[in-house]
Amino acid sequence: MDILWLGVFALLLIGYFALEGFDIGIGMLLPVLGRTREERDRLVAGMAPFVLAGEVWLVAVAGVLFGAFPHLEGETLFALYPLVVGLLVSWVIRDAGLWFRRRLDGRAWRAFWDGALCVGSYGLALTWGLALAALVQGGPVLTPLGVGYAAVVVGVFAIHGRRFAAWRAGGPGRTGWALLGSAALAAVPVAVPLVVAAPWLLDHVAPSSTLGVLTLVLLPCVPVMVAAQVWVWRAFGRRARTGVGARVPSFF
Amino acid sequence: MNVLDLARAQFAVTGVLHFLFVVLTLGLAPLVAIIQTRHVITGKPVFERMARFWGQIYVINYALGVFTGLVMEFQFGLSWSGLSRYAGDVFGAPLAVETMGAFFLESTFLGLWIFGWGRLPRWLHLACIWLVTLTAYASAFWVLVANSFLQNPAGAEVRGDHLVLTDFGALLTNPTLVFALPHVLGAGLFTGSSVIIGASAYQLFRRTREREFFVRSLRVGVVGALVGTLVAVGFGFAQFGPVGQVQPGKFDGNVVVGTSLGFMILIGELAVFGVLFVLTPLLFRDWLARWRWIHPLLMLMTPMPFIAAILGWLVREIGRQPWIVYGRLTVKDAMSPGLTPGMITASFVAFTAVLGLLAVIDYVLIARTVRRGPAAATLGDPGRPDPAASAPALTL
Ligand code: HEM
Repeated sequence: MDILWLGVFALLLIGYFALEGFDIGIGMLLPVLGRTREERDRLVAGMAPFVLAGEVWLVAVAGVLFGAFPHLEGETLFALYPLVVGLLVSWVIRDAGLWFRRRLDGRAWRAFWDGALCVGSYGLALTWGLALAALVQGGPVLTPLGVGYAAVVVGVFAIHGRRFAAWRAGGPGRTGWALLGSAALAAVPVAVPLVVAAPWLLDHVAPSSTLGVLTLVLLPCVPVMVAAQVWVWRAFGRRARTGVGARVPSFF
Repeated sequence: MNVLDLARAQFAVTGVLHFLFVVLTLGLAPLVAIIQTRHVITGKPVFERMARFWGQIYVINYALGVFTGLVMEFQFGLSWSGLSRYAGDVFGAPLAVETMGAFFLESTFLGLWIFGWGRLPRWLHLACIWLVTLTAYASAFWVLVANSFLQNPAGAEVRGDHLVLTDFGALLTNPTLVFALPHVLGAGLFTGSSVIIGASAYQLFRRTREREFFVRSLRVGVVGALVGTLVAVGFGFAQFGPVGQVQPGKFDGNVVVGTSLGFMILIGELAVFGVLFVLTPLLFRDWLARWRWIHPLLMLMTPMPFIAAILGWLVREIGRQPWIVYGRLTVKDAMSPGLTPGMITASFVAFTAVLGLLAVIDYVLIARTVRRGPAAATLGDPGRPDPAASAPALTL
């Protein structure tokens, strides 16, 4: 059961990097890929239906951390205090950019929230990089290695975001396989620390009475969670770019 | 203020902000679902427009619920690592179930609902908003399971220096949970209905062109408020029994707790009285919609359930001080060892500034949505055929 919950934790974290990485990437590249307002709207509209379904993976990570690794939850989050605060603030600012950008039409309003979207996305990628490096090193929150690692995370998210944008735009050679490739790439920066930290995680797993309850209650939810995610990708995947859906203005 | 005061203040501020938005989410979700169901069944366009308009208010409000919720969730680890050390083996479980079994699904289905207008088949799209409602309620349930454990640590035993889970069933049948859950859901329904009533009254007072739209909405709001207030007040009184048993003397001696409780009950009783004996009878022949002089009063009523809900949480949480886990662990002992004034001050300022500002903006956006009326709602906008997209299927 310990292994099962380690697996769940790892899967959720990897899922977050693979499925939210491109949203963060597009956010960072927004000023570069979207020079005009129409272009930016198209980029954001492309990722919009996937954002809510993507960021929940991290919320689930936090939940599983608390439920299955309760002693780590306090220890790690506290050890990374400034980074966790930075990550949360970035996350909120990025999301506010998404939710608010189209609520008013003024030029300044749009520019401001597009800026928030971009800055928040950078903040997310950077704090993730620093946090992962600090965890692996078991040390201070700001080190040269951490800065390098943060740059790597920014890089892979940017690549993933670009691939996603190309995939949405369609055209030859922009296949789902290419997107899958960049998803795998985006997951590497978190998969490596996970492998390194696996024994340590297993050392801190909750007692079997707790894990038993979690397994019992959550196992029936797993098929529903998977189905909901698959549904999102089927409903808003490539097929939906054309046809009736194409002319529906995006809410984000 | 010392570190402990600051950490408590931070949790209180984010908690209050969180609940202000969540209580409306809990109330509007079922109401929007019901309205949309009526559209799917009757096919009347007015119900679709109502679902889009109130749905837009619902989603704008939802955003802030999520932002504040994220900060809440991570704050346990940041400021209160002593809680997870001592009680994490028990307390963590319901929170884990909430994130995976409820919030994960709620947010995914909400995305399908928001972006699925005009794309998903009607019945599936309707199913999405019902699933959102269901998972929102499930979310409230699991969060209250966790909170009730802090109020009354049932189902756990001390082993060495920490608690272990011995009886999960006891966690779910905790006496501080069974009446609190319907009380909170009733409070939510009352809050959602009040917003619909207040906004409709505003539009009717301004002699809106969308008369039918707001007359119907007002009716939905009054019926919702009737159910909501009766449930909230009924289960509110029912709570005194179990609370008196597991936390004797909770409401005595503390001025803040006593006053808050008094005002919550005052608001609750006035609301039941007003909704049951005034608003509901005035639905007859739409008198309520026609009597313009009463509309400003309805608008003034709108903040009342929000105030009552915050007062309720103050009672529940301040009333159990100094305990974080009642009778077992004090708030002071739960604070992260090593938390410095610099850390807590910086994070407090950052969270409060960002969330406070966004909360204000969010309310302004909601008010603006109400003012501009249904014609300007962008959620589920069927859109104009895009001349650029010359897909043959569209050029009929
Ligand atoms: C006559 C009416 C009411 C009575 C007798 C009542 C009673 C109570 C009591 C005794 C508590 C504290 C439970 C505890 O300490 O564990 C409570 C909490 C609360 N109340 Fe009320 N209440 C009333 C009306 C309302 C209204 C109108 C609202 C909101 C619209 C509301 C919202 C809440 C909330 C959110 C809580 C905290 C969660 C909980 O303990 O359920 N109450 N109420």
